[in-house]
Amino acid sequence: MPVSRHGGTVRWSLRLVFGALIVFLYLPILFMVVFSFDEGATPGLPITGFTLHWYEAMLNNRVLLRAVGNSIIVAVIVSILATIIGTMAAFVLVRARIRFPNATRIAFTLPIMVPGVLIGVSLLIYFARVLDFSLSLGTVIAGHLVVTVPFVVLIVASRLQSFDRFLEWAAADLGASPRQAIRHIVLPLIAPAILAGALISVTLSIDEFVITWFTVGSQPTLPTFIYTRVKFGVTPEVNAVATVMLVLTLGTLGLAGVAMGRARRLTGRMRRRRQAG
Amino acid sequence: MASEIVGGAALAPPTAIGVRRGARLRQLAPFLPAAVIIVGLFLVPLALMFAFSFWSTDENLDVIPVWTLENYQNFFTNPTYVRTLFKTMVIGTGVTIVCLAVAFAVAYFLARYVSRQWARIALLVIIVPFWTSYLLRVYSWQAILGERGALNQVLVGLGIIDEPSLLFVYNDFGTFIVLVYLYIPFAALVLYASLERFDFTQLTAAQDLGASPIRAFRHVLLPQIRPGLITACIFVFIPILGEFLTPSMVGGAQGLLIANLLANFFKNALIPEGAAVGFLIAAFVTVLLIVFRRYLRIEDVVVRG
Repeated sequence: MPVSRHGGTVRWSLRLVFGALIVFLYLPILFMVVFSFDEGATPGLPITGFTLHWYEAMLNNRVLLRAVGNSIIVAVIVSILATIIGTMAAFVLVRARIRFPNATRIAFTLPIMVPGVLIGVSLLIYFARVLDFSLSLGTVIAGHLVVTVPFVVLIVASRLQSFDRFLEWAAADLGASPRQAIRHIVLPLIAPAILAGALISVTLSIDEFVITWFTVGSQPTLPTFIYTRVKFGVTPEVNAVATVMLVLTLGTLGLAGVAMGRARRLTGRMRRRRQAG
Repeated sequence: MASEIVGGAALAPPTAIGVRRGARLRQLAPFLPAAVIIVGLFLVPLALMFAFSFWSTDENLDVIPVWTLENYQNFFTNPTYVRTLFKTMVIGTGVTIVCLAVAFAVAYFLARYVSRQWARIALLVIIVPFWTSYLLRVYSWQAILGERGALNQVLVGLGIIDEPSLLFVYNDFGTFIVLVYLYIPFAALVLYASLERFDFTQLTAAQDLGASPIRAFRHVLLPQIRPGLITACIFVFIPILGEFLTPSMVGGAQGLLIANLLANFFKNALIPEGAAVGFLIAAFVTVLLIVFRRYLRIEDVVVRG
């Protein structure tokens, strides 16, 4: 066989590339976490000793805590609004016959594709120069909605598309009104996708830096606070904040992943059952 | 079949136009808030930025609606700006090539040599860093590339260099490495999605029929994963056009990219000049998206990622 002569070598070198990529991807994060426990006032190698001092400093930093508070307020409002608005839009997008289906789809993918810096600066002109709004957490929320709503729309729409409409028609045959069918049949079945959209909105909003940087007023969010701190000198407690954020983000995304997996299994099971029956 | 279900609009008698329109409106109403956000907070501001880029400023730096091409003229006659634009293209292309090459090797390995279950897990491990904070991922590189960073310490420790060097950070090298780091998970995700659908026995078949491995690769594999390759290119290259955080954190004064010009103009309230740069970036993005729209699989990335 001509294939197997180099097959082993190719396979091993590819495995090596894979290993190197994993190291490359995790090394910086690992160092950040390690440095958050480093005793030295300017964290770096070699590690001088273990301390929880930076976590303590983090918890005593008033400005930092206020920034965290702002981020949480923004994220909660953004995710509630984006989830409701995005889910409603997804229903129309999948089920109603809209006039320009392709153009609409593109309009909803554009905010995800276009670099955030363009959304940020155009909103800055719009708010500050055209509408004469003063920049505040409200303008930050508006900016975050531009990217989170499309995410929810795409996630929920893709679930709705694979949804088995026979279930709804069965409900209608049994006397349910369209409203009842949606409330008792459709929503519970696509709930995992909606939940995933909500959780992804939360993480997107908490981590959002670029759009926030241009639309934020005098109250910083956590990422804009960290950025100004890091730009103007070494602040070891940032490593501690980063580690906490890392753990929280991964936790939220884990939940989102579980929700998506559940949604996939649910629709899969329904389809199998129908094919069997 | 589906048309019966689509809603009141299709079922209404064609004579009752008023009723029809009412039903149609009711059907589209849930779409309204999302439309307001996309149009009112995205399309209109971008259009305004476009308009501002053709307006002038008076002596108080207030924008006045007097049409001019000066903002673009100023940009293209300033050698620093033009060089920055050119450099962004070069770095963007370089990063895209590196990302695609490495991501392809990894995706090929996972799709061909690893069981589907383990490949999914490996892919998840690759994606996880991408989902952590963007700002912190850039920041974390200072711990490695910085003067007291891990790389310097290791090199000094090994006796390769005598004292910590600033060669790795605050220049284009730092920007390049971090950009590869930021966007490689995207590329791996997209390429795996298309390689997963590829039937590798086709390669064996081609070779059995006498094709060399390279020929089989070029004429059997590549055409089938072209949409994935293009999507990956777009998903790496476009964000780099808008990167201003990475250069500002690890690129130093020399490592600025085009989006840094944009951010700096706006921070200094030079709105029309900034808007002109913003429009140039937007124009590039639009051209790329239009040229390659048929191949793009955005849902692949959003829904699977």
